[in-house]
Amino acid sequence: MSQPNRLASGGLIDRTRPLAFTFDGRTYSGHPGDTLASALLANGVTLVGRSFKYHRPRGVLTAGSEEPNALVELRTGARREPNVKATVAELYAGLEASSQNRFPSLAFDLLAVNQLASPVFVAGFYYKTFMWPAKLWEKLYEPLIRRAAGLGRAAEAADPDPYEKTTAHCDVLVIGGGPAGLAAALAAGRTGARVILADEDFALGGRLIAERRELGGQSAARWADEAEAELANLPEVTVLRRTSVLGAYDGGVYGAVERVSDHLREPAPHQPRQRFWRIVAKRAVLAAGALERPIAFGGNDTPGVMFAGAVRAYLNRYGVAPGRRAVVYANNDDAARTVADLNAAGCELVAVVDARGDSPALHAAARTAGALLVFGGAVARAYGGQSVKGCEIVDARGGSFNVACDLVAVSGGWNPTIHLTTHLGGRPQWRDDLAAFAPGGTPPGMTVVGAAAGAFGLGEALAAGAQAGAEAANDCGFSGGTFDPPRADDDSGETRGLGPWRVPAKRGKAFVDFQNDVTVKDVELAAREGFRSVEHLKRYTTLGMATDQGKTANVLGLALMAEITGRSIPATGLTLTRPPFTPVALGALGGAHRAKEFKPTRLPPSHFWAEEQGAVFVETGLWMRAAYFPRAGETDWLETTIREVETVRTKVGVYDASTLGKIDVQGADAGAFLDHVYINTFSTMPIGKARYGLMLREDGIAMDDGTVARLGETHYYVTTSTAHAASVMRHLEYCRQWLFPHLDVHLSSITDQWAKYAIAGPRSRDVVAALADDGFDVSDAGLPYLGVKELTVCGGTRARLFRLSFSGEMAFELAVPARYGDALIRAIMAAGEPFGICPYGAEALSVMRIEKGHAAAAELNGQTTAADLGLGGMMSKKKDCIGKVLSQREGLADPARPRLVGFKPVDRSQRLRGGAHFVPRGAAVTAANDEGYMTSVAYSPSNGCWVGLGFLARGQERIGEIVRAVDPVRDGDVEVEVVAPVFVDPEGVRVRG
Amino acid sequence: MAEPLVARSALRPHVAPHASAAGAHGVTLREVENLTLASVAALRGREAELVQAVRAAYGLDLPTGPARVASGKVAFVGAGPGKWLAVSSAPTEFSTLPAAVADQSDGRTVLRVSGPKARETLATLIQLDLHPRTFGPGDAAMTHAASIAVHLWQVDDAPTYEIATFRTFAATLWRWIVEAGQARGLDARAED
Repeated sequence: MSQPNRLASGGLIDRTRPLAFTFDGRTYSGHPGDTLASALLANGVTLVGRSFKYHRPRGVLTAGSEEPNALVELRTGARREPNVKATVAELYAGLEASSQNRFPSLAFDLLAVNQLASPVFVAGFYYKTFMWPAKLWEKLYEPLIRRAAGLGRAAEAADPDPYEKTTAHCDVLVIGGGPAGLAAALAAGRTGARVILADEDFALGGRLIAERRELGGQSAARWADEAEAELANLPEVTVLRRTSVLGAYDGGVYGAVERVSDHLREPAPHQPRQRFWRIVAKRAVLAAGALERPIAFGGNDTPGVMFAGAVRAYLNRYGVAPGRRAVVYANNDDAARTVADLNAAGCELVAVVDARGDSPALHAAARTAGALLVFGGAVARAYGGQSVKGCEIVDARGGSFNVACDLVAVSGGWNPTIHLTTHLGGRPQWRDDLAAFAPGGTPPGMTVVGAAAGAFGLGEALAAGAQAGAEAANDCGFSGGTFDPPRADDDSGETRGLGPWRVPAKRGKAFVDFQNDVTVKDVELAAREGFRSVEHLKRYTTLGMATDQGKTANVLGLALMAEITGRSIPATGLTLTRPPFTPVALGALGGAHRAKEFKPTRLPPSHFWAEEQGAVFVETGLWMRAAYFPRAGETDWLETTIREVETVRTKVGVYDASTLGKIDVQGADAGAFLDHVYINTFSTMPIGKARYGLMLREDGIAMDDGTVARLGETHYYVTTSTAHAASVMRHLEYCRQWLFPHLDVHLSSITDQWAKYAIAGPRSRDVVAALADDGFDVSDAGLPYLGVKELTVCGGTRARLFRLSFSGEMAFELAVPARYGDALIRAIMAAGEPFGICPYGAEALSVMRIEKGHAAAAELNGQTTAADLGLGGMMSKKKDCIGKVLSQREGLADPARPRLVGFKPVDRSQRLRGGAHFVPRGAAVTAANDEGYMTSVAYSPSNGCWVGLGFLARGQERIGEIVRAVDPVRDGDVEVEVVAPVFVDPEGVRVRG
Repeated sequence: MAEPLVARSALRPHVAPHASAAGAHGVTLREVENLTLASVAALRGREAELVQAVRAAYGLDLPTGPARVASGKVAFVGAGPGKWLAVSSAPTEFSTLPAAVADQSDGRTVLRVSGPKARETLATLIQLDLHPRTFGPGDAAMTHAASIAVHLWQVDDAPTYEIATFRTFAATLWRWIVEAGQARGLDARAED
């Protein structure tokens, strides 16, 4: 038989279909319905991985997502995923898994010598050992530690699979599909309420499918099947299997990850690998069950030591005997079921060790199984290295003896799975009657039922689930149907498991936190060294800080600290958990919107035409803008940019200015409103005129600039910089709604409505004349500098024409509705061809605005005032405006502040660098001598040298002076001449006429 | 004189790809072209006048909340207190209304998403509850689709939704809907 530990019958697996898979290169066979762990156990593979620090052999401890030991790498290549819990990895044909943290092989791991050195690897080891010499930390200690410790390896290639994020709304979210959760979902679902039932498992039922129980006269697994079938038929119920609810957030929001395709070799076409759900629920029922806890005895991490409840899951759900000769060691009656199930499966019960005194349930089970019964005893040590070969049992009188076995089933009691109740600050309460923490506060709208609430009996779980489901639906206004839970077979016995937490040390390490290799000795050491607060315990020993967040470890660690320090458990403290309940892939959090689709890409109207021209694009915020338009033979961006600048300055060029923010402002008080938000005055500007404007923040710092045109008596058109379009719109809406609600003014973003091209250069008028329909006067008299007119172009398309210039040349901005933008750029190019037109991009634009000394984002950088920018004279003295008062503060009004001036290298062949700081000649390069900084530089074709703009202390008084521009980052130190910040046509003649 | 200008959509196949799944379509995606759109804001103190003018011109009562009211080819969709998006499938001169009116015919692109999987597809982008118990024909919302601002309204029980977004965001929104729709039987192409 290829699967030596597969039972002859039973289990919820499809025995008719074999599934071949590999582990560490060897081929095995399992069945649909298996997890990787159950299939490995069926094949007799008990050694699954090596531990984090000591490289100890590790097997399978649990049958769920709390697994700290059986972590593997799943898949290969770009899909390789580290630290996958074999206990939840659903088997599929061709699954490839490999063990982690071993070298060269799992069975022979050289780094297991770490165990011999374990006296130095105790808690706080890193802090104590690698102190000196400290400089070796980065180069030596950390890389070594990282290689020796650690678990799986992340894939090195990009994840090839898609992920999705989605939102779901419901009346009732039921978390957990065990008996309590199914009852809650049925009770809520039958009322007609919108219900979502989420369970992390691929099969619903929870413990119902892991136990041999009866419900309503049939097997519990069968009942779970029928419940699932009914839920599937309720139109407003959504069942999410393979879905872990990871976190509870404000407003009834829960985060969950659905492993849509993790059980497949690779996702089906267009299917996401995982889907992140944002679930908005009016009510929630938490039915997350309970997690078993270990007892700390020597070698309790040896493969073959397994939780008693997990043993039953492997026997009953998967039809697998995790061992053939078993010892059961427990402090509660729940383990009696393990004894009975092992016996029923034909396994030999060597011994049953009850940590308590005489207990009828375990007693009866042991007697039926014919097992040696030890009351008040302990398993002191499991031994066998890579798999359990036997254990040493101590009896109540202190005598000890060894028994041979290949399985030690352990139960140290059960912890309610209360993690989600703590995510919004709920503090768990220790309950002596349970010997466990139960939910304290819960997130608003959440009810906790079943084992998660400490109600471990099946009957009480069903009843509480049904009641909570119905009540939650009623709270949402639904009361249609009813659900009477089925009768459960008898729950009797003591599930409270209060110690012993540890067995007095014999030989062998006794583990508390398996995943982080924290032992009883580490907890003792922490106590001795004064790290007695549970928060210190955690950080000093790393207890509970592995990817399992200490699901099996935290309560045991806390109980040990309580015992060592002679305090009660609640007095010792508790550790809260944070989302996520189980680790979540960043891909799932990112969803579909990653890489180029992380944010929207905005394409200006000329984009498709520019693509055809072979333009080189640059991302500016969300916009994709043409940076320059290279021609055949041009070798770099600078050559192209120089040609584009020269063409504009001598002939004519065209630029897509559509990315500037455009805001339509209307209303009887539109002018008054603009007077409030700009430092200069627009209410008196004539219709048909445009003007440059500057707005300040409340604190007096310059916020944004642009132009304002007056289209009618109560109608203005505002432009903003590309970068600040959204924030200016937001600011103006804020001003309108909150600061000036009495004004009749209305704003509408029309950025996308208009395609707008700047046509600039001495021949720009000729181009515009060729486009304008007959009868439109493009002469200086018809449309003088700063004039605005509406017209039609190209045979009837309505357009707006602005005589504005950013380049310093005669220029027009021609705007048409955006749908005509593509056609208009082609028409402009055709009309301009006789005049030598060329398109120019953002690079040439930047050069020309620097040559003209126009401030842009580098100067409007959130630190500069109107006066700093040389625009102080624009501030109207006749009115107030936002930011005016605070701009007159002492610090901001200080005449010694750095002012905007221009710079040229004294040696005209030298290059300037943005970011260089100004220092007087002969002065030391120190912060004390810093007099300002260079904000923008460009190679100016018009000047034949580099030119710069920058802020220099008292700059306007220092024209002609020579200072140093020091750039320590790039070893730059250039002498520069301070000049007026206008390098081309300083009289401004060209824009007129 | 220059050649007449040709109107073009913001969507081209290389930035807004077409897709057509075999078999029954769970969700269809189309651009609604040739709409006349305008943002309309009531002037201070002249709100009643606007209500009257709209009723007289189009035979409909302006919605007062996040809703769409249609009559014939014209609809008004609530866009905030005292604000609407006027939509018409025929050339319409909204600027004559006694209101602050700004033409948005080119400022917005309207996408139509419909079919049995439309809701599930949109749930990957829009966080509002579009379940028929809470959102039905005539309901509207200003919200966002992932990071794109949208104005959304439901047209019928198919269900059919129309989503207005800024024109330069439309290609991205198209791609995002396609991305979500491909596993759900998507049919995305230009209007027939």
